[in-house]
Amino acid sequence: MDQKNIRNFCIIAHIDHGKSTLADRLIEMTGALRPEEMSEQVMDSMELERERGITIKAKAIRLNYRRADGEGFLLNLIDTPGHVDFSYEVSRTLAACEGAVLVVDATQGIQAQTLANVYLAMEHNLEIIPVLNKVDLPGAEIDRVMAEVKSVLGYGEEAVLKISAKTGFGVSGLLEAVVARIPEPKGAPERPLRALIFDSHYDRYRGVIAYLRVIDGTIRRGDRLRLMAAGTEMEVLEAGFFNPKECPVDELGTGEVGYVATGLKQVGDCPVGDTVTASARSAETALPGYRPAKPMVFAGIYPTQANDYQELREAMEKLKLNDASLTYEPENSPLMGHGFRCGFLGLLHMDIVYERLEREFGLSLVVTAPGVRYLITKTGGERITVINPSELPEPSEIAIMEEPWVKVSIISPAAFIGPIMELVRASGGNHRNTHFLGIAVGTEGAQRVQLDYDMPLRTILTTFYDQLKSRSRGYASLDYEFEGYRETRLVKIDVLVNDEMVDAFSRIVPPAEVQEVGRALVHKLKEVIPRQLFAVPIQAAVGGRIVARMDIAAKRKDVLAKCYGGDITRKRKLLEKQKEGKKKMKNIGRVEVPKEAFLSLLKTDF
Amino acid sequence: MTELALYIHIPFCRCRCHYCSFVSTAGRMAEMPAYVCALIGEINLRRRTGALVKTIYFGGGTPSLLSASQVGEILAAVRANYAVAEGAEITLEANPGTIDKEYLQNLRQGGINRLSLGVQSLDGGELEFLGRQHGTAEALAAVCQARAAGFDNLSLDFIYGLPGRSIRKWRVMLREIIALGAEHLSLYALTVEEGTMLAELARCGAMALPDPDATAREYEVACRVLAQAGYQQYEISNWARQGYSSRHNMTYWTGGEYLGLGCGAHSFGGGVRYAATENLDAYLVALGAGCLSELTEEVLTPRLALSEAMMLGLRLNSGVAVDDIRTRFGIDLHECFKTEIKELVALGLLESDNRHLKLTLQGRLLGNEVFLRFMPP
Ligand SMILES: Nc1nc2c(ncn2[C@@H]2O[C@H](COP(=O)(O)OP(=O)(O)O)[C@@H](O)[C@H]2O)c(=O)[nH]1
Ligand code: SF4
Repeated sequence: MDQKNIRNFCIIAHIDHGKSTLADRLIEMTGALRPEEMSEQVMDSMELERERGITIKAKAIRLNYRRADGEGFLLNLIDTPGHVDFSYEVSRTLAACEGAVLVVDATQGIQAQTLANVYLAMEHNLEIIPVLNKVDLPGAEIDRVMAEVKSVLGYGEEAVLKISAKTGFGVSGLLEAVVARIPEPKGAPERPLRALIFDSHYDRYRGVIAYLRVIDGTIRRGDRLRLMAAGTEMEVLEAGFFNPKECPVDELGTGEVGYVATGLKQVGDCPVGDTVTASARSAETALPGYRPAKPMVFAGIYPTQANDYQELREAMEKLKLNDASLTYEPENSPLMGHGFRCGFLGLLHMDIVYERLEREFGLSLVVTAPGVRYLITKTGGERITVINPSELPEPSEIAIMEEPWVKVSIISPAAFIGPIMELVRASGGNHRNTHFLGIAVGTEGAQRVQLDYDMPLRTILTTFYDQLKSRSRGYASLDYEFEGYRETRLVKIDVLVNDEMVDAFSRIVPPAEVQEVGRALVHKLKEVIPRQLFAVPIQAAVGGRIVARMDIAAKRKDVLAKCYGGDITRKRKLLEKQKEGKKKMKNIGRVEVPKEAFLSLLKTDF
Repeated sequence: MTELALYIHIPFCRCRCHYCSFVSTAGRMAEMPAYVCALIGEINLRRRTGALVKTIYFGGGTPSLLSASQVGEILAAVRANYAVAEGAEITLEANPGTIDKEYLQNLRQGGINRLSLGVQSLDGGELEFLGRQHGTAEALAAVCQARAAGFDNLSLDFIYGLPGRSIRKWRVMLREIIALGAEHLSLYALTVEEGTMLAELARCGAMALPDPDATAREYEVACRVLAQAGYQQYEISNWARQGYSSRHNMTYWTGGEYLGLGCGAHSFGGGVRYAATENLDAYLVALGAGCLSELTEEVLTPRLALSEAMMLGLRLNSGVAVDDIRTRFGIDLHECFKTEIKELVALGLLESDNRHLKLTLQGRLLGNEVFLRFMPP
């Protein structure tokens, strides 16, 4: 189709503000699916995502829209991931669009992550169409949220649409606005092919399926293509689009969005953000903005049963096929045995990977406390990076230590500023900016504030988010992006269980917090490790110095009293159950530690 | 001739005790005559020749709710269908408050020669907490009446580890227990089983759970005090004066053959365990129609049989004889469980010489941890 009749756009929305519902309405109203074909919210395709209410895999859907005057348009709706961990993926999606529909829940207002994505969209020069959704609800505060949109984003009332994704009210007006306001693609059909990969997934039969936006030139089935950054060569086994069913086509023209089946073996060979060109007639320069996925958060993953290592390895390999941002390398811990040190984009990403490993692969796993990547300059001048606390050199060998900082932005009702500031300060954050959003209309406390901080990434990895939520009664939202490395001075605190150091429990903390963290760690462990057949000392140490200690007294009694009337079977069954329970434990030396102990330690509050 | 122990279950009680998880019913005593009929029917159906009954045990429930003549009828049916050895040990469990001297005399004359009294505690408040139907006075009276009725082999059951019981109180009670002069004592730790009143109370916070440390202390004190008083401990929960250990219960622990009769009764023989239905109605219906009630069967693999032999044998103070295991299972314990035995000995839970494995005092408190290590992986 002629570029003049193509519109490529995405929807930016906070979780639950109605993105999926709106997408469904758009699909329905453009006749892509008959109503009876609509399964609930077709765009959230992974089960896991559906449960968590987030979308990780971006997908693109083609809508055929006929304007009132009869002119036909081809609208490509590209789905964006909604969480901070995936901000790079979001930026690639935005780069594939000319416009974005910003959905704001009229009963809630703008949230931090949404705002972060809107700013990102503005940086990409996207045309933004703000809409207030859920205006059908009696709780909709249209004036307040309208004022917020005006003050934060500068859109006046005339530019903002009021819709109900649920009832369909205002959605046809939105379709008109998409065509009228979002610019058409302006690629060069005659130039050598350049297409942007904005997402991919692995398919067992056809290899990696890459989602891409053709910027210049055309892709035809059978073409030989090359990835300009990765250098990968591949053949177009199939090309097509989703409507939302898969529709193979012979070619994807300039300005169009679709997919290509590549036959490649893992998504890492086809990285998001890379530029596809033709092998025969290559473009000279790649599209801007490519950055290999870079994990920010690291943790060890170990099987609770040592002999499940092989299975874990296979599971990791399979996950990796579909998750280019997941990194892993084998790691041996004297006590935990064989496992992997894994890199994640963020905590949510880590949770997702952990859950998938347990659920899809039936593994029983232990995860160590998440940490960041430290840059160390040794006294001898050698520079190393440390992603595993146990590899941190002795303090005397460290000349300079640097840790990653992030720009954090928090949006919250003004009423909670006090407790939030306190939390951020306690977490080592530096205040940058406070910004009042909109003018408070209507109910008191409706005033919302954006707080900007610089913080060490380390400090938001454990309980920061939970605490933020609890201190704001769930109202505050958070977004962060990598800012840079800054010099720091931190020490490693080790935990000894029964005099054996458990590297998985080690933490890197500021010297001033050593006592507090040490005490919290031993206290928690005393709570979660059941009594053993011998007394178990739990100690926290820095260098050789013990900073906290508690003892778990030996178990005194565990025996079944009575063989009642010769019912031996019942007795034996109870023992069998007890024995089964032991198998679920991780042995640390002679101490049996339930895997919940590891999990609860992750959530320990310091 | 094969030796056999007979267990006869009487699943009736006046009320449910708060800790009780045994197979029993409360408030269905009107059905006892029907049950006795059914039981006699079962005895007839399971007639057996070629085995010599060495012990008979009436357990419950509350067997002392049977009239002396009902007991007599049951015993007569047993004698008609089984060869009962001369001098067989014939025990009946009785609850204080359900018996008097005359009744006990009749039992004694009817052939019961061992009485096991469910005293449980000598403190009125504790008895109430446990939901027992008797008080301290009835308990003491029961002991006197049993003696007066001529019982010279008397066993008393007690419960230790009650929440909130002080160790001093337990010491005093132990002195009183010893003063009662029974030939045999069984002490059971209070366990809060699912589905009991105590579990309910604990769940809603009306009761503290038994403290394992305090329970262990009470046990240790009991071991010491009873030994000083001349009671010999022969099993984790059982003490007796010389020559008075329960021959019936020894059958369970030594892997002997036993036949359980009645609702919910368990049997063992030829490497197979059987359990009768625990549903009184199902039992009555089946035997009313002249058939045996359905039995659940478990055939023990040699490996399971071995772990049971360890689990049961180690409960005894005499322990497990290495030679006995070798003859029964053809294995050398010291070879097959080398690391386990070493670990348990190092932990102070097990004593091992070339011929025997025995629990230490500590091991008796942590028996499960020991037994576990002999279970199949
Ligand atoms: N009343 C009303 N509810 C809506 C509207 N749009 C979405 N919802 C509801 O809001 C919830 C979240 O919507 P969903 O589309 O799943 O949000 P997403 O997380 O942004 O994809 C669902 O229960 C929807 O039914 C609307 O316009 N009006
Ligand atoms: S007397 Fe025994 S069987 Fe009956 S309810 Fe009490 S504990 Fe249970």
